Amino acid sequence: MKEQEKLELLKDILYPEDRGQVEDISKRITLLELIINDQEQLAEKVNPLVDQKIDSFTKSIPDTLGPTITATLKKEIKNHKDEVVDALYPVLGKMVKKYVAQEIKVLSEKIDNQLSFIKRWKLRLRAIFTGKKEEELLLKELSSSKIEQVLLIERDSGILKASYSRTSSIDEEMISGMLTAIKTFVEDAYHKKNQNLELIEYENYHIHLQSFVTHYVAVVISGDYALKSKNKLQDLIFNFYYNFMAMNLDLVFTSKDRPKESKTIDKEWLEKELAESFGNAKI
Amino acid sequence: MQRSRKIVVLGHFGVGKTSLIRRFVEDTFSDNYKVSIGVHITKKVVVLNADDAVTFILWDLEGTDEMEQIRDAYLLGTHGVVFVFDVTRPSTFQNLIRDIEIVRQKIQGPPILVVGNKTDLIDLEKLEQQMLENTIPYDFLTSAKTGNEVEAVFLKLATLLNEDA
Repeated sequence: MKEQEKLELLKDILYPEDRGQVEDISKRITLLELIINDQEQLAEKVNPLVDQKIDSFTKSIPDTLGPTITATLKKEIKNHKDEVVDALYPVLGKMVKKYVAQEIKVLSEKIDNQLSFIKRWKLRLRAIFTGKKEEELLLKELSSSKIEQVLLIERDSGILKASYSRTSSIDEEMISGMLTAIKTFVEDAYHKKNQNLELIEYENYHIHLQSFVTHYVAVVISGDYALKSKNKLQDLIFNFYYNFMAMNLDLVFTSKDRPKESKTIDKEWLEKELAESFGNAKI
Repeated sequence: MQRSRKIVVLGHFGVGKTSLIRRFVEDTFSDNYKVSIGVHITKKVVVLNADDAVTFILWDLEGTDEMEQIRDAYLLGTHGVVFVFDVTRPSTFQNLIRDIEIVRQKIQGPPILVVGNKTDLIDLEKLEQQMLENTIPYDFLTSAKTGNEVEAVFLKLATLLNEDA
């Protein structure tokens, strides 16, 4: 018996448990080797861990990579403006096309509504007499300006005295206050005495402001607001204000004994007057 | 009978003018401070009794440390004034008498109520004592945060305007 064999025999006698453990470990190693070498078995064990890691990484992207991505994108967009425009152009083009198509549809519906039998003949006759095209006349009619709202406002305080409105809007007393604040600011900012803010424009709407000594009239107009419409509107405002002032002469004639004060005029009556003056007016 | 009155709210920067108005009009408060620029208009109806109410059109003017700088044009046609100071910042009330004089020169006639705001941040009794000792003329001590005395300010103003009418 060789020295090594003798030693093994002695180990078996002295440590029988060690032998069992060694065999057990050896079996486990063999099993692990099998798992690692077999892709499917390995995937079964590793995939859930990888999925979990990816999931956690995805969730943390906005915090960890977000700022870097944003900064990079900004830089890239800044450095390659033309390329960005080229890339976005088709998308924006489609959006614009869609919007224009929608608007044309709306216009077409309006034209259909306008073209009732009688209206069509009226238009045809007008076209004959004026020598203009029917389409031209129709488009002009559709884009004509309309009075949407009229506010009679005390000039200094911005207090609303009376109003007429075709459609409902937010609180008219607050609008009057805000219009007065804007008007006051603009007039004050340029230190030009006796100069008044006359017009505020926002997209398809215009606010015409006609100032008098103690009050001003604000008229909200939709549609095309040309000089001709302005003249007509001013005539309407002057006529109304002349009547209003006639009712309220103390506003004009003031003296030391009698300070400037406004008489209490029935608001309902005044609003009826406003509706009559501006409600059906064409400008 | 209901009538409308223009009320201007004035004072130094950050004294709580907007918060005071917001508490009065909407009954809300926010700690999120935003500087008012220019002017902001709000409205509230104050009911005096069953037959009488007054509509306040409130002009919340941007704060300024120099009352001379307030735009005169914004003050035209004013029916009543609420001058606000911050009880926690002496710089907003140490020249109170002078500040009020300047405002009075700009707006002659209408009532001016002087209001010390932010009382929730200070011991009220001590504050009243301090105001008395330093002869700081005030009409109300309010807290826009808790709502204490806010309603009373505007009710008093409505009553004063009603007496004048």
